[in-house]
Amino acid sequence: MDITGEYRIAASREIVWSALNDPDVLRQCIPGCKELEAKSPEEMDAKVALKVGPVSATFSGNVRLEDIVAPEGYTLIGQGNGGIAGFAKGRALVRLAEAGGHTVLSYEARAEIGGKLASLGSRLIQSTSRKLAGQFFDSFAAHLGGKRATADAPVSAEVDDLELIHHTQNT
Amino acid sequence: MSNASDIPFAKTTKYIGAALPRATAKRFLFGRGRYTDDIEVPRMLSAAFLRCPYAHARILAIDTTNARKFPGVHSILTGVDLARICRPWVGTLTHFAGMKSAPQLPLAMEKAVWSGHPIAIVIAETRAQAEDALEAIQVEFVELPAVVDALDGLNEHSALINEAAGDNLIYATQIEAGTIAQAFEDAEIVEADFIFGRHTAVTMEPRSILANFDPSTGRLDVHQSTQTPYQFQDVYARHFNLSEANVRVVAPDVGGSFGMKLHVYHEDMAVVGASIISGRPVKFTADRMESFASDIHARDHRVRARLAVSSEGILRGFDVDDVTGVGPFSTYPRTSVVEGNQVVRLIGAAYRVTDYRAALRVVAQNKNQMSQYRAVGHPVAFAVTEYLVDLAARKVGLDPFEIRRRNYLTQDMYPHTTATGYQIERLSLEICLEKLHEVMDYAAIVAEQERLRRTGVYRGIGIATYVEITNPSPAFYGVGGGHVSAQDGCILKVTQSGEIQCMISVTEQGQGTEAIIAQIVAEAVGTDIATVRVFTGDTDMTPAGGAAWACRGAGVGGETALQAGKKLKKRIVEVAGAILHCPAHHLTLVDGRIVDAQQHTRMTLRELAHLSYFRSDLLPAGRPAELTVAHHHGPSGFPFAFTNGIHGSLVEVDVETGIVKILKHWVVEDCGTVINPLLVEEQIRGGVVQGLGAALFEECRYSASGQLLNGSMADYLVPMACEMPDIEVYHVETPTRDTELGAKGCGEAGTAASSAAALNAVNNALSVFGASITQIPMTPERILRAIGAVG
Repeated sequence: MDITGEYRIAASREIVWSALNDPDVLRQCIPGCKELEAKSPEEMDAKVALKVGPVSATFSGNVRLEDIVAPEGYTLIGQGNGGIAGFAKGRALVRLAEAGGHTVLSYEARAEIGGKLASLGSRLIQSTSRKLAGQFFDSFAAHLGGKRATADAPVSAEVDDLELIHHTQNT
Repeated sequence: MSNASDIPFAKTTKYIGAALPRATAKRFLFGRGRYTDDIEVPRMLSAAFLRCPYAHARILAIDTTNARKFPGVHSILTGVDLARICRPWVGTLTHFAGMKSAPQLPLAMEKAVWSGHPIAIVIAETRAQAEDALEAIQVEFVELPAVVDALDGLNEHSALINEAAGDNLIYATQIEAGTIAQAFEDAEIVEADFIFGRHTAVTMEPRSILANFDPSTGRLDVHQSTQTPYQFQDVYARHFNLSEANVRVVAPDVGGSFGMKLHVYHEDMAVVGASIISGRPVKFTADRMESFASDIHARDHRVRARLAVSSEGILRGFDVDDVTGVGPFSTYPRTSVVEGNQVVRLIGAAYRVTDYRAALRVVAQNKNQMSQYRAVGHPVAFAVTEYLVDLAARKVGLDPFEIRRRNYLTQDMYPHTTATGYQIERLSLEICLEKLHEVMDYAAIVAEQERLRRTGVYRGIGIATYVEITNPSPAFYGVGGGHVSAQDGCILKVTQSGEIQCMISVTEQGQGTEAIIAQIVAEAVGTDIATVRVFTGDTDMTPAGGAAWACRGAGVGGETALQAGKKLKKRIVEVAGAILHCPAHHLTLVDGRIVDAQQHTRMTLRELAHLSYFRSDLLPAGRPAELTVAHHHGPSGFPFAFTNGIHGSLVEVDVETGIVKILKHWVVEDCGTVINPLLVEEQIRGGVVQGLGAALFEECRYSASGQLLNGSMADYLVPMACEMPDIEVYHVETPTRDTELGAKGCGEAGTAASSAAALNAVNNALSVFGASITQIPMTPERILRAIGAVG
């Protein structure tokens, strides 16, 4: 499953960058975040409570940052175990661009889910991901400048990962 | 052929053949159904399962310390706990030479092999408490590469699911008859690649089990939503080392089974083990998501097939390759290779074809287990056959009806042995074909189709023949060492007031088994059906038998009941003769009255029972009234009683949306003696709906990493009433001569070829675009791709 999005945030790139690397800010902005602890500047452990349709779960996982180019972006690699709900893992390319004193944050994420979460089907997962990303960036922007972030482009989610192995089924 | 002289009861019967509503239906209408999950017993605990979220993973460690402290938790068991008391099971049978499958235990041990594989069982005071504790179990997994696609699983570099086997090939077989090369020489050849998706049973009542072990006596009581209680009595006794006489399995009301509820599931074994270990009753009922992740799936075949036909439209030979993915291991105790085996043996069975070659490969994959489900192999075999026959008809310029007329087995050919070795007693193919032609009003719907085509409405007409295996002998499982009974037993007793209680080993899952058994018993004994009560599904009460599988209830169970009834009638008449001082052969029983040759009522069965039970002192000395009889019957003669019939389908394809509307479906079926036409028709209709579900809607979709993507009723489409057409059912009766009753099975006939008929109908509609589709379900997207409307 591929999820991409782009947000305009009313703050300078340096401020956005520093907030993106601040465990306290992330803890406050990630929806359902119960714990977030930086083990090193590149590594964090987190516990996040999520509800996807009828499935509620607390994901325990870690996030690693790679290809860090301050203040332009990084690659975020994460995996979380949601107990009976299943697992989620993925990577996201996060880019910050200056735009007239504001910052345009864009991301391209590729996620893989398993267990109950997967069997709920892509429909719920995508809408939930969209909602969670929206909540995160709203809180994030509010934290930085007291204003809501505006999505420059509607967040699109595609179902690359959901293609069936029987390619003929899709041709 | 319909021949009244072949039907022993046709002229004289009151109940056999009568369209009687089933008495038990009222209980459900009154809300008095009693399913396994309705049963509560004192000190009962509820189970919940932790399942592997990965398709294939090594399990390094399981930590249950925190979870054990949760409120209400009695205990948590993992693989090693249950391995101590449960002997592993292996889903192989010796008549499938060379097949291999990994031994199974109730819970995953060092690795889990599908997303959904149970790893730990929590037993707690309530299901909610058990589920809460699941959250606190920590499992350390290492994800392994998964085998998802069956063909990929055969690559030499593929990951291995069962390392000890050395490859992922569970079973392979080849059939060669005649000279296939010659058959294809100078012939017209039609060929196609088919994909049959996975689907599943979606029973209204999910799987449910309540196990109650009494450590003081070693007694195990199991209530289970199953169709085969005797099989589970055997399995639990053998695998948990219990005395079989001390194991009771009861199937209360069962809300649909369709073959899904006769396989051994890890959860059921874990629940039995948990009750033995805890000494407490333990219940588990699968929720709908668990059903999708663990009820057997069905089909999953890729078939490449070729058919050679002469320019006159005479079929010359079939050449078939089937690859089927069956999940990580072969199901126990009936294996996961029967379906594929029947695909490669049933193709072409209705036709005069002697040159035949087929190869089957059954492959392990990291998906949920695949095994026998309603119409095992038949829908695949007949979709392949009937699609190719239609293609051949088009190639040589014949109408679909005409090519079948020219190639069917005919009345002068029986008994017949097919190219693949099936022995067929007698079919009525050509009679059913002509009947279908008539009831479809074929000429009229073809004319209507052509008229509408000119207005941009694309209708399709499809027909599909089936030849179905019913009344199986031990040739199916017993000969391969399977503990699966092919016989049935029946006990009849006269109550103190002259009513009849019937304890029989065939079982009821909503199809009306108890209703037809009551009809047969009432007929055979000669009593009022209102006084006959049938009991099924309790291994303590009924004789051991095969129960419900492979369309055997009417044919095998029915004959058992008939002979038991005749035996009881003989007994009753003997007792009456002794009481009345009249030779028994001058007496008979009619509607519960003992009548003499002049049709005078001499006494009632009620009076006879009263005397027998309360005034035995008045009976002749040394002649106690033995008003209880037992009878067993196992199929003899032909290994299977083959039935036949034909489906017709009329559809309309919306070429802009790809949506198929099914306008009408017809079935002309021949299941031999019809015991109750209402029930046969409802069995056929239910089966048709399941087949149409497979044809158009139902599919268990997996991601490339082996995750089931639509494990809920929101995403898995089942046919609903509004999508289903009127289904007209017609009967032709060719009774089997192997039994007095003459009945064959009908439970799978609806499913056997309805998807094939729909496939042919859709292709008939698409033919104007030069397009074809050979994959089911035929989703709108696939139809639009087939006609090139989307890329």
